[in-house]
Amino acid sequence: MASSGGQVGGVFDHHVQRAVCDSRAKYREGRRPRAVKVYTINLESWYLIIQGVPAVGAMKELVERFALYGAIEQYNALDEYPAEDFTEVYLIKFLNLQSARIAKRKMDEQSFFGGLLHVCYAPEFETVEETRKKLQERNAYVARMTKNKDHYVTKKHKDAKDFRGDFHSKTSGFPAASLNTSSGNSDLCLPYSSELPLCYFSPKCKCSSGEHGDRPSNSSQDGRNFDETLGHCDHCDSLQKMQMKTLQNSLACCGAQQALTPSEAVDRFMPRTTQLQERKRRRADDCKRDALPEACAGSSEAMIGPQLPDIPKVDMHDDSLNTTANLIRNKLKEVRSKRNFKRRFGYKAKWRIICRNFSIVILFFPFLIFR
Amino acid sequence: MAQKPKVDPHVGRLGYLQALVTEFQETQSQDAKEQVLANLANFAYDPGNYQYLRQLQVLDLFLDSLSEENETLVEFAMGGLCNLCADRANREHILQAGGVPLIVNCLSSPSEETVLSAVTALMGLGSPGARPHPELTARPVVQCMLRFSLSASARLRNLAQIFLEDFCSPSQVAEARSWRADAALGIPLPRAEAPQQP
Repeated sequence: MASSGGQVGGVFDHHVQRAVCDSRAKYREGRRPRAVKVYTINLESWYLIIQGVPAVGAMKELVERFALYGAIEQYNALDEYPAEDFTEVYLIKFLNLQSARIAKRKMDEQSFFGGLLHVCYAPEFETVEETRKKLQERNAYVARMTKNKDHYVTKKHKDAKDFRGDFHSKTSGFPAASLNTSSGNSDLCLPYSSELPLCYFSPKCKCSSGEHGDRPSNSSQDGRNFDETLGHCDHCDSLQKMQMKTLQNSLACCGAQQALTPSEAVDRFMPRTTQLQERKRRRADDCKRDALPEACAGSSEAMIGPQLPDIPKVDMHDDSLNTTANLIRNKLKEVRSKRNFKRRFGYKAKWRIICRNFSIVILFFPFLIFR
Repeated sequence: MAQKPKVDPHVGRLGYLQALVTEFQETQSQDAKEQVLANLANFAYDPGNYQYLRQLQVLDLFLDSLSEENETLVEFAMGGLCNLCADRANREHILQAGGVPLIVNCLSSPSEETVLSAVTALMGLGSPGARPHPELTARPVVQCMLRFSLSASARLRNLAQIFLEDFCSPSQVAEARSWRADAALGIPLPRAEAPQQP
């Protein structure tokens, strides 16, 4: 619990809690009201000062709460730090800068034993070596992130080129093709879902959904820009993955020179009408496979919501019993599909409603037949 | 730490940044300018935004804002540059745009945060691997750092010491030390010393 040796006492400007800004323009309002402040690597630190801790001897609980965000190297109370009446101020040093960042973000303005905590960074407690290490880590992080991004951009650029080249090939290989020959026609091969992000992230067209028409004209002149922005837009990870999947799917389809059909991989991004048609087609296929006239008849109706599980079929080794069982099963399906819960058949409706499991139906057979 | 704005999903990150830049250029309200500049400076913390920021010439916007009368705008712009200087491509851009003299001028700002950001930005610009720039270790700058290394502010002291140890040669430091302190030409004298503790 030893202090790090940094100077204590005195209130620095960066310790003071600033007022929340309430005059932001609507489009820039965040999820939480925040003050107007700029965070740099100089301000961030392993050391956090926690003000406003109620003086109830809750240091252990406080440290346990902060330890949820990462390992704590040291902690101590700052007795000489100016504090409000009946509150204490603590200094906590995290092992990891990222833990300190997260703890600060999560615990600031949180309630603790009836008081509101104010958590701020305390870089003045750092030694020269710690500050040097902090700056080096930051530089390494930025270098790593920009290197990964460059690699990703190069990969996407290469993939986009390969995709365009392959569109014109009759085989399913991936021959290298020049950008010029295929850039003008690349639009045709891209499925619907790729239209969306290309418009948003192209530097030339305005970011509105009504600008899809600009993309074909952009492709030849701004083809290079398009490729770069296509690679650079990592605003939404799901959109990126979608682009990769749609590009891959289109590559697979193009070789066969067929009209593109939505595949399983892009089901998530199919429009609703296409999804409904796809579902109908699959139901029709199932119907042909199962050769059940009832199912096929049902497929022509508009199905809303999940289908109830079918009653399992059990062979009772007797033709008459099997026939009866089939009749009962079909009746149950009919009742279910028509959503007819009227008790037309008295006691028969009772067991029909309560027993969906076919094994229970079998139990009642003797009573029905031998009544 | 970058702020997380409520972004219309149809606009995208680039569109949002563009809207910020447009508002900064068009608004007459000082409060709005400060808010937008702070927003951009926080975005400059995340390397993922560097492409967009370069595209929208936000680096030049920060450099231009260093000449503002409003000290808060200077502080925020300097913070943004400090965040950006960690990246090699941004460093090249700032060096080519003649940003070094502007940043050196900020060493005499009355705001401690501005001075700290300026020192860090200079260190970023002088990082190994970057093109060596003689202005970064000019005598006035080194003398300024020597003065800062004796400051009452621990943060400033630490940064100045790192600058002198890692970015200056011993001969440069010795030369600056032997030169008279009041002959630090090229850097306007600060209005006050580094802020003391109350």
